[in-house]
Amino acid sequence: MTLKQIIAFTLTCAISTQTFGHSRWVLPSHFNLSAEQGEWIMVDITASNETFNVDKAMGADLVRIITPDGEPSRASSSYKGHRKSVVDYFLKGSGTYKITNNSEASFITYYTIDGDHKRLSANKTELVGKLPTQATAIKTTYRYARIESYVTLNAPSDNFKIQGKLLELLPVTHPSDIVEHEKVTFKFLFNGKAQKDVAVEITADGVRYRNNPQTLTLRSNEKGEITFTPSVAGRYLLVAEYQEDTPNSPLADQQMGSVFLTFEAQLN
Amino acid sequence: MKIKKIGLLLILLSWINFNAVANPSNSAPAQLQLELTLKQQLGEYHPPYVASWIENSQGKPVRTLLLWREKAKWLKDIRRWWRKVGKKDADFVDGITSATRAAGKYPLTFLAEDDQKKSLKKGQYTLFIEVVRENGGRAILRQPFVLNNIKSTFTLAPSHETDEIQFAVLPQ
Repeated sequence: MTLKQIIAFTLTCAISTQTFGHSRWVLPSHFNLSAEQGEWIMVDITASNETFNVDKAMGADLVRIITPDGEPSRASSSYKGHRKSVVDYFLKGSGTYKITNNSEASFITYYTIDGDHKRLSANKTELVGKLPTQATAIKTTYRYARIESYVTLNAPSDNFKIQGKLLELLPVTHPSDIVEHEKVTFKFLFNGKAQKDVAVEITADGVRYRNNPQTLTLRSNEKGEITFTPSVAGRYLLVAEYQEDTPNSPLADQQMGSVFLTFEAQLN
Repeated sequence: MKIKKIGLLLILLSWINFNAVANPSNSAPAQLQLELTLKQQLGEYHPPYVASWIENSQGKPVRTLLLWREKAKWLKDIRRWWRKVGKKDADFVDGITSATRAAGKYPLTFLAEDDQKKSLKKGQYTLFIEVVRENGGRAILRQPFVLNNIKSTFTLAPSHETDEIQFAVLPQ
């Protein structure tokens, strides 16, 4: 093997061992609206690896809509089916709404026993009595997933409050200004600080009807930013993940954050 | 040396300023003649929503020439105009709104001024015409032009929503 081949091989391994979990998303019926007296939207909620075909229902209990004034609000009604949940929401005033279906932060312990990979909902202090004594490859992760999208009624606003908890996506390009053939920039923060090397995958709608999913794979730079140019108008799912070891934590070996952002690239 | 350069720059700037103020023919806006056409369509027909506007060489909108529309609900479908202009200022949109028109030919005249009625500076611009029709399609036409005291005329090729469109820049 030449040095180049070794590097190429190592890179391939690095990429293929990325552990992106099952995709989840919120898919609003509209991303940009015009109205004088407010407007209704509906939002699909599902866990599915096929962008954007629904697969497994996720409950809508955790859905919060952050209004343009920064206050969390709830959907007016919801329905849970076998493949998806759907919620109804009325946008009252102009501005940008952030739709979230974030998970609850949780501890999960993975281990191996008799060659099988298993998992437990427990932190390191809770393992005694739960973890089989023959278990190997034990790893406890503290994790939190943000599942989000932005919808804008009339004039956009910067509804981008940062919580400083695990992985967060801060739009640099406003979601209502994303358009085909023009550069888009997003910034990633981990525990409130710009984070480089966040692994990002971006996939356009319609995977079922393409042999190649044509997923774009990126990593954030020193400033925590990624930049890309949507080649066609349509809906996109961005999946981002970052994890780091937490050797000083009595509760977990590592912490991991993920972001699932649904956005629309408009016709130019 | 530096001070000399700054001095020269100041002289140059005041000369440019003097010329702009003292020579009104230089700042009189050109006339823009637009013969807009909306194509005759077969079957179910809703008059299209139409916006026409001018962007400068950086793609910044400087002037909306016309907006033909009905309900606010469909304004967002005039995609580029809504993204760049409409969504930002409801009062401005109300101020320029007029009713939709049926298929036909519409001769229109404008001055080459910005939204604040100031003459557009010499330079490169693009005329945009965006036409969207319920149960129809969307057409977006782009015509680059230059404001430099020279007369120029353009013929915009037909689209599925428009017939041939004439556009002329006539310095006064």
